[in-house]
Amino acid sequence: MNIHNYEKIWLMAAILLIVGFISTVTYGATAVGVDMISDDGGTVNASALDEDPRFSEPRVEQVGENEYEAYVIAQQFIFRPDPITVPANSTVTFFVTSPDVIHGFEIVGTNANAMVVPGQVTELTVEFNEPGEYGLLCHEYCGAGHHTMEGSVVVQPQDEFTQGGDE
Amino acid sequence: MGEEQVVREIGHDEYDPKGTLALIGVYFVILLVMWVFMYFVEFLGNELTVV
Ligand SMILES: [Cu+2]
Repeated sequence: MNIHNYEKIWLMAAILLIVGFISTVTYGATAVGVDMISDDGGTVNASALDEDPRFSEPRVEQVGENEYEAYVIAQQFIFRPDPITVPANSTVTFFVTSPDVIHGFEIVGTNANAMVVPGQVTELTVEFNEPGEYGLLCHEYCGAGHHTMEGSVVVQPQDEFTQGGDE
Repeated sequence: MGEEQVVREIGHDEYDPKGTLALIGVYFVILLVMWVFMYFVEFLGNELTVV
């Protein structure tokens, strides 16, 4: 078979590109440690969140030295708790669920970005370093008030942090 | 209508579209730059990566 030189070049380049893409993602997952949003959070009864041990009281809870768990409910058209207060220099695992429809959970301008599905618990772990404040946004259309659905994540200096849930 | 047409036959290896090669090369370089920028700068350089 007679393959034109330019076609050989193109075939090689295309193969290298695919290999490059795959190794980039592999590098991110192994060397950098980027994880996927997981469904390890399991499921809940969406119509009885107030009886659920995890979600009856949306809150941030300390589970280890510098390790926290945040139980968050996204519902039409708020996030609870609001603000979600976490200490600086901590690792926080968010468990997010919804009692009504599908919502979004995006800590604005960051890679912490997930979907919230009723009956399903979305689990994601992130590390907070500097104190500061982030916006929190629903980016899945969830009804007439969708555009007003926002919250915030406040990262407090460690010595000022007090545990709390809904105010 | 009887006009003479000039027909030039070229062989397989004489066909040499340099312009097309250059254009595709430029596209390819743009692709590489966007790949590196999006993954390594925008994504990995952003904070609050899911771990
Ligand atoms: Cu929403």
